[in-house]
Amino acid sequence: MKRFIHHSELARDQRFVRQDNAASTVLATLPDDVDTVVNVFDQFSDMIESSVQGTAAEPLFEEYGPAFGLVTLNEPLTPGAPAERQRLAMRLHAIFVGEMQALEGASRSLWDFPDSPWEFKMNMARQAWDEARHVQIFEKLMDHVGCKAGDYPESTFLFECACSEDPALRVAGVNRGLEGLACDVFRDLIRFAEQSGDELLKQAMDYVLADELTHVRFGSEWVKEFTRGDPERFKRAQDFRREVDKQFSLGGARSDREDAAVPIAMQDRREAGFTEEELSELLELSGEGPSRKTLMAATKIIRERHLARREEKRREEKRQQGQEATA
Amino acid sequence: MTEQRMYPGTGADERTTFAPYSAFEIPADLRELHGRYDVESMARRVRNFRYAEEWTMMILGGWIATIPELPVKTGLGKIVWDAATAADVLGKRLPELRCGRKSVAASESANDGFAAFVQSVAEPETPDLTIEKLAGMFDVLKPHLIEVYERTARETDYISDAPTIELLEDIVRKARRHQAWAGEVLDRLCDTDAKQQRRRARAAEMTSQLEACGGVAGDLGVANA
Repeated sequence: MKRFIHHSELARDQRFVRQDNAASTVLATLPDDVDTVVNVFDQFSDMIESSVQGTAAEPLFEEYGPAFGLVTLNEPLTPGAPAERQRLAMRLHAIFVGEMQALEGASRSLWDFPDSPWEFKMNMARQAWDEARHVQIFEKLMDHVGCKAGDYPESTFLFECACSEDPALRVAGVNRGLEGLACDVFRDLIRFAEQSGDELLKQAMDYVLADELTHVRFGSEWVKEFTRGDPERFKRAQDFRREVDKQFSLGGARSDREDAAVPIAMQDRREAGFTEEELSELLELSGEGPSRKTLMAATKIIRERHLARREEKRREEKRQQGQEATA
Repeated sequence: MTEQRMYPGTGADERTTFAPYSAFEIPADLRELHGRYDVESMARRVRNFRYAEEWTMMILGGWIATIPELPVKTGLGKIVWDAATAADVLGKRLPELRCGRKSVAASESANDGFAAFVQSVAEPETPDLTIEKLAGMFDVLKPHLIEVYERTARETDYISDAPTIELLEDIVRKARRHQAWAGEVLDRLCDTDAKQQRRRARAAEMTSQLEACGGVAGDLGVANA
């Protein structure tokens, strides 16, 4: 078995649909400019359409066009909001595949770094079990909200961004970047569960969040250990973590802005070992994406263009049917 | 009336009045102070066992991303952790067997043949080879480890080496659970004659390599002789 695998090699059964990571990567670096957002989604329209075909996201694509993700995932999730169940299902599915990639990332660290210290291997093995349980938990939670594995396309963006070939960078990416994002998302889901009175969701998230804090702590400790006495490597690990944090902020959807879909879980992150300096950096870089106002304006234009294209297509099909009937 | 003596004095007749009693007399302790392994050879075996558990953890960790069957991915996640804790407790036994305080992470293959066997177990890589992956690990390596751990626990000194026996018994208990789980998974995956043949062929290939090298402790032929 070779060391290090490409994200495209992550094995899935036939229920899963793979989404090209390019759209997620570009979305993570969008500026606060309506025209740019519109052009980017126009550019990725065909790719997004093909990735949602046959999934539960197809009707959303038909209704909103290629920017349906902005409507469903980048908006705060509140009880009673339009399409609450579907948006919750999409979010749980996104977390489910994220947990699967976290399982794969942590367990691959055992194979990819055979000469690493024993305590590191123990931590990664423990994380592998925890992430495996999280996958099982989210399977149950998806069932709880009427959704199942493969209902939505999977982007392997998280594995791609976080899995470096240097163990110091790997733990910076997986344990501090990816698991840090998980802390933010789970704290937000606990808030949602409390507001909606969903005790089952709340308790599951409470335990999962506790595990994630442990995994971030593993990362905080191993970045220090792997880079001890090597300031250059420490800098590379910090730069890598910043890059991952920027990408995982999903254009400001995860940030401390008032309009953020997922706020940063500052207290949980402190408990997990993030320093005040790192948190300030995160606040700054995560808020750099397009504002909610920009995204909403762009979504409106993208939707209008999408509906116009659909109308044009219908007219064209009708014209062809008419020509065939005449012939 | 003589005063009851609480503590023995220094003279031959200055004994205490307490009647001799041993908890081991009722029931009688039938164990004998005789084991097949001395401290040094048991330490070597523990290093050999630790090698097998550490590599089991690493191989399964590597496979998880390459296995498409979701329940197998998650099931292996737990076994990765169990293999890690097995390697950990075996390592912690080493300083107790006079291997030095730094020996807790010491793993050692019994010979080059067993190291090569472990690499052969790890060989299947692509997503279409779940049967070969699981058959090598759970039809051959795990049952072998269970057998050797149980034999070692039977053959070592029951009193002097009781800590080794205790930890091996715990490892075996979990390993049996892993084997039962994997057996069920393999039975379901091998739902055609062709797939059953693949399982048998892989197990036969791995068994022959394992026997040739003498197994995890290098004494498979010796033990069976």
